[in-house]
Amino acid sequence: MLEIKNLHARIEEDKKEILKGINLTIPTGEVHAIMGPNGSGKSTLAYILAGRDDYEVTEGDILWNGESILEMNPEERAIAGVFLAFQYPMEIPGVAGLTFLRTAVNAVRKKRGKEEFTTPEFLKVVKGRAASLKINMEMLKRPVNVGFSGGEKKRSEILQMAMLEPTLCVLDETDSGLDIDALRIVADGVNALRGPDRAMCVITHYQRLLEYIVPDKVHVLAHGKIQKTGGKELAHELEKSGYAEFEAA
Amino acid sequence: MTVAKIKTKVEQELADQFAHVSGKLPGDASVKGARQAAIDTFDAQGLPHRHIEEWKYTDLRAIVKEALPLNVGDASAITIADVIVALGPLQTIDAQRVVLVNGAYRKELSSTEAQSGVTITPLSEALARGPVTAKGFGAGEAAPADDAVLALNAAYMTDGAVVEVATGTEVERPIIIAHVRAGGEAGFTAARHVLRVGANATVTVVEAFVSLPGAAVAGQMNTASEVDVGDGAHVDHIKVAVDTGAVTHLASWIGRLGKDSAYHGYHHTQGVGLARNQMFVTFDGEGAEVDLSGSYLGRGKEHVDNTLVVDHAVPHGTSRELFKCVLDDNARGIFQGKVIVQQIAQKTDGKQMAQALMLSPDTEFDSKPELEIYADDVLCGHGSTVAELDEGLMFYCRARGIPEDQARSLLVQSFIGEAIEVVEHEQVRGAITAYAEQWLEERAARSS
Ligand SMILES: Nc1ncnc2c1ncn2[C@@H]1O[C@H](COP(=O)(O)OP(=O)(O)OP(=O)(O)O)[C@@H](O)[C@H]1O
Ligand SMILES: [Mg+2]
Repeated sequence: MLEIKNLHARIEEDKKEILKGINLTIPTGEVHAIMGPNGSGKSTLAYILAGRDDYEVTEGDILWNGESILEMNPEERAIAGVFLAFQYPMEIPGVAGLTFLRTAVNAVRKKRGKEEFTTPEFLKVVKGRAASLKINMEMLKRPVNVGFSGGEKKRSEILQMAMLEPTLCVLDETDSGLDIDALRIVADGVNALRGPDRAMCVITHYQRLLEYIVPDKVHVLAHGKIQKTGGKELAHELEKSGYAEFEAA
Repeated sequence: MTVAKIKTKVEQELADQFAHVSGKLPGDASVKGARQAAIDTFDAQGLPHRHIEEWKYTDLRAIVKEALPLNVGDASAITIADVIVALGPLQTIDAQRVVLVNGAYRKELSSTEAQSGVTITPLSEALARGPVTAKGFGAGEAAPADDAVLALNAAYMTDGAVVEVATGTEVERPIIIAHVRAGGEAGFTAARHVLRVGANATVTVVEAFVSLPGAAVAGQMNTASEVDVGDGAHVDHIKVAVDTGAVTHLASWIGRLGKDSAYHGYHHTQGVGLARNQMFVTFDGEGAEVDLSGSYLGRGKEHVDNTLVVDHAVPHGTSRELFKCVLDDNARGIFQGKVIVQQIAQKTDGKQMAQALMLSPDTEFDSKPELEIYADDVLCGHGSTVAELDEGLMFYCRARGIPEDQARSLLVQSFIGEAIEVVEHEQVRGAITAYAEQWLEERAARSS
């Protein structure tokens, strides 16, 4: 279970406060969606969950399965099961996708007390998972995300997620930039990972994604706080009414 | 401006030593005359120092404190197995091998194969018949006639490989010229190679500079390679200098390109105390293409200087340079790139880039890209960047569970890999990558 308690956070550099008391609980087995206007702090929250140090938590706590993760560095969180699919996946020239994936997967497996994959084992698993996301192996021989289209980048994020077998999946606008077919492929990939041991937090601007990945709850984040929580029908309402009702008080 | 000629101790020693050893150096009377002329040129110049523009950042007069004894006719007891070990990752390349130990060509350790159209001769043998140069050299040779380092080489050269590839010959396996430094006595090695590549021929030559376990920590190396690329020929010329220690490594390349030829030169340097790689390339026929690139990794107090002069003396030439430098501890990296476009050299396309990645705040990178353009219809550009590791990328890697150290190594590989990618031969590229990985592993081991 993910428990975010009265989380206040600011940008390290200019001390601007972005999150102003977030309270949010996602039980394992559930998928929650977070929606909200541009600049409301959704990505900030996602980054803070993953441990990016451009942000400073000034108050509150984040518990994952009962333990605070705030003191953990990003790799420790990854090992503990946290995965963030980036809104803007990064390019790493000169490092082949497969090399990157294997380095990550084996680092995590080792720390989780599992056997590291041998090269043939690794390739077999990647091939299977890549195929279901319609990613061909040639693409993975290229440097990480370099020259990928927007949609290809998002699919490669989901492949990384599938390979790292996280228990807390945070997806930051994974749907933006995807065409209709790609959206379905990605949604299928995400749904395949749904299960009683996983909690998912899906950040999106569009109700359409939530037709494929049906959430248990929808939260509205605006002005650094969760302003409203509802069922999946809340996404429909927002689609119609927008965020006017959450204008700064 | 005349600089008062006061010889430093080393300069005096170098002159004295020449007087002692010149009788033992290979060559007929005209070679001996050329050697004397060269030492006179050196005498007039002295060691390059910071008041000479090209040597501004690498002041040999201040750095080189003594003249080590010249290695002549070395006969150290070394086996092929020793050579293979010394070659490290380069041993995996399926190649022919020329082995020089402390500057002496060792046929019994070499394994060159008979292919019609290819001859490889020890320079010492060739000099006995007269002077050896790659000269089809025409006008506008980019190498300065009075370069003191080249002059020292011409005076002292003891041996090397003369590689001749006949017209139209495709040399299948790369030729590795392995310089092995061996023995507990620190010495001075002067070697020269001459590559003459006929029209439409293809060859890959790798110069490797390695040392055997137990080799003296210090050493001085002055090598020169002359390369004549015939019309339509394609030459890949790679140098891997991983001769670790307090070694002073001076390497000069002089290239001439015929019409529609391609010359791809690459320098990888790591672990060398002081390295100066200087490259002088002249376009002598239209439509030729040059790529001079390199990677260098410096740590401790190492000093690595890559300096090149590309002379577009004819129209329709293309030149590309990409140098990437990773600096740690107190290391210093230097890049000087001068691209000259002569007035008649219209439609020249020249681009160069030098990039440094600093892993410690105490490093220094000096970059001086220069364009000297006298023609008006050209496409030329240059750039230079200095950066630290990208924090955002570090976070991306770590968020995938990759530990900080490993993430850093991965990103350094990413940085340097963009240069190494230029090397066309897959096994050579793999070996250079493996060397860079070794460097990074050593770095991680030191910091943990
Ligand atoms: N590292 C940073 N430095 C400076 N400002 C930042 C930084 N990160 C976030 N911000 C600012 O914090 C606010 C929240 O940004 P955030 O990216 O979290 O919004 P978002 O809800 O994800 O928006 P969008 O829907 O457009 O993706 C914005 O005003 C943004 O400019
Ligand atoms: Mg965002």
